[in-house]
Amino acid sequence: MENFLTGTATLFSDPHSIMIFAFGLIGGMLFGAIPGVNMLTLGAVLLPFTITMDPTDAVMLFSVIYCAGVFGGAITAILFNIPGAPENAPTCFDGYPMTVNGQAGKAIGAAVTCSAFGGVCSAILMMTATGIVASWAIRAFGPPEIFALIFFGLAVSASIGAASLWKGWLSVFTGLMIATIGTDPVGGIPRFNEGSVLGLSWDSYYLSAGIHFIPMILGFFAVSEVIAQAMSIAKGTRERPKASLEFPSAAEFWRVRWTMLRSVLIGFFSGVLPGIGATLAAFLSYSQAQRWSKNRRNFGKGELEGVVASETANNAATGAAMIPLLALGLPGGALTAMIMGIFQIHGMEPGPLIFINSGDLVWVTFAAMFWANLAIIFLGWLQTKTVVHILRVPFRWLAPGILLLATIGAYALRNLIVDVWVMFLAGIIGYFLRTTGYSAAGIVLGLILGEIGEAAFAKSMQLMDYSFLAFFQRPICAVLLILGMFAIVTSIIGEIRGTAPQKALMD
Amino acid sequence: MARSDHSSSPDGSPASPREPVPDGSAAAGGRRPRPTGALVEWAIWLAVAFFFYAQTGRFDQEIATYRFGATGWPRTLAICVGLGATGQMLYRLFRDTTPSPVAEAIAEDVSAWTWAQRLGILSLPIVWLWTIPYVGFYVSTPFFVLALLLILEVRSLRALIGVTFVVYALVLLIFTRFFYVGLPTGQLDGFYEANNWIIATARWGG
Repeated sequence: MENFLTGTATLFSDPHSIMIFAFGLIGGMLFGAIPGVNMLTLGAVLLPFTITMDPTDAVMLFSVIYCAGVFGGAITAILFNIPGAPENAPTCFDGYPMTVNGQAGKAIGAAVTCSAFGGVCSAILMMTATGIVASWAIRAFGPPEIFALIFFGLAVSASIGAASLWKGWLSVFTGLMIATIGTDPVGGIPRFNEGSVLGLSWDSYYLSAGIHFIPMILGFFAVSEVIAQAMSIAKGTRERPKASLEFPSAAEFWRVRWTMLRSVLIGFFSGVLPGIGATLAAFLSYSQAQRWSKNRRNFGKGELEGVVASETANNAATGAAMIPLLALGLPGGALTAMIMGIFQIHGMEPGPLIFINSGDLVWVTFAAMFWANLAIIFLGWLQTKTVVHILRVPFRWLAPGILLLATIGAYALRNLIVDVWVMFLAGIIGYFLRTTGYSAAGIVLGLILGEIGEAAFAKSMQLMDYSFLAFFQRPICAVLLILGMFAIVTSIIGEIRGTAPQKALMD
Repeated sequence: MARSDHSSSPDGSPASPREPVPDGSAAAGGRRPRPTGALVEWAIWLAVAFFFYAQTGRFDQEIATYRFGATGWPRTLAICVGLGATGQMLYRLFRDTTPSPVAEAIAEDVSAWTWAQRLGILSLPIVWLWTIPYVGFYVSTPFFVLALLLILEVRSLRALIGVTFVVYALVLLIFTRFFYVGLPTGQLDGFYEANNWIIATARWGG
């Protein structure tokens, strides 16, 4: 507590630090909320400037951007069905239907409050248990457990957003297949970089580097959404969403209190694991919310609880993601890798000794993340009252802007026009998949988890001398695999019996 | 579902006759829909899985430290896709009574104009993207915005010019002036110079 108060005092006693804090907060929220760019874009732009900054300010800035950016992505997910980041994808499932139903204010209000709640809880857990959680996670979670967790996550989340269980799994497998393009994780052998079909052959250095998930996300969500809306304009069936400024009531939050608590725990423990983090947390939390909800049949049609689950979990993962970074020097995602870069630029080494050698820096960062999450409530409330008015602008006018932003976002990633091609092709394919009941979110989930999953599987096999049964000799691993298999079997039985896939998963 | 204010759209789109939306009534009353859609989907998935599996032959190399090699994981996924697609097809043929969206799409009755409009929506970004390396992002973008607005049925001259100007100006201001994002400047003589002139103008005085 004393350290936290000292960190807070240090943060707010220096006007320069307050300015950086405010800049990170507003910048993260804005970049998170603009389709086509995200907090990583802002991070990449700002990274060179951190060389001349005080390391404490620099790390604090990026931590605040991280908290604010994860929330910011919810805005576009709710208003336009375009998630600002992969971890906001499940927010679309109920957030956008709420917008269509004229409840955009309520959905954004829930996202604001729950992001802040998840983030604050996560920051408190981070401050109290960094050392313990980090050492437990690293000891208990080896490659077999990581693989089992990914398997479990895919098993319970596969049918989310799809019209049927089959379509959900086919979407996930598509994402997993795309993730194999590049180099294999063990031998570094290039895969699918060259090939031929019907006399047409290709040989691409680009494919050797793999297909980056950012253009795919922009394509599957932003471009395919613009195409879908444009098609409905062409058909004359598009309904303009109604702008509403209604905030959720205290009673509504009380009704979802268990979902919020469950999502904090799911988000926090998923966030601790390097590389998995907020995306799987949001999907898992959403699927569990659906499983336990009394209104499970409303999920996907505009259920507030869906937005609550997804947004609480993804922000709860932000604090947790800092734990392996600070305590062990293991960045779990792109933005935490940038923070790692800041440490290295300033000649510092994150790890257990950082609490002794740079205690001030650590506690200012913790305090900044705590206050940033609290500030999200105030700024988010303002945003709820203002940003919803974007819905009053005709979609015809917004569509070119969204496509241009997505194009710039995809191109700026690696300065490759091929990334923009990938984005538009993903958008067109995504449009057809969506109209036939497949899940863009499932493809993205498979794409993000595919590489980590394959690497974890390969390492597990090497560790366990290719014995599949050895998975079941590790308690955490066995529990996760059995639960995952149970989820798959019950959902297949449910599908064959003719019950809805979601209901089958719940039963 | 159809918009009610066809004649007075605030964004300048004209009133236009609308096609009826297919309601999927083929399945009403539990009548089983025709299997065309299910079979088409199955064939597409099998083709994808087969193509994917076949291409793994290009990198079928042994890895000394890993028994399954570089192909083990992708081939397993291809087989899973084949099995999943077959499971879906069998389920749809024997258990499902809901109409296939693919079959609905095939059977949909729409006018030639709507088909042209749909084709335009899908092909415009591709055409724009194809031109970017030659004529540059900065020169091609206003035309792309204008064309997209026209495809989206914006007919008011004020809206066409205003939206194009605002969107283009914002992109130049944010990404070219403030963030110095380098976007393609084209390869063709004249266009390359024009793109660079636009960049210089956007950054003028900055």
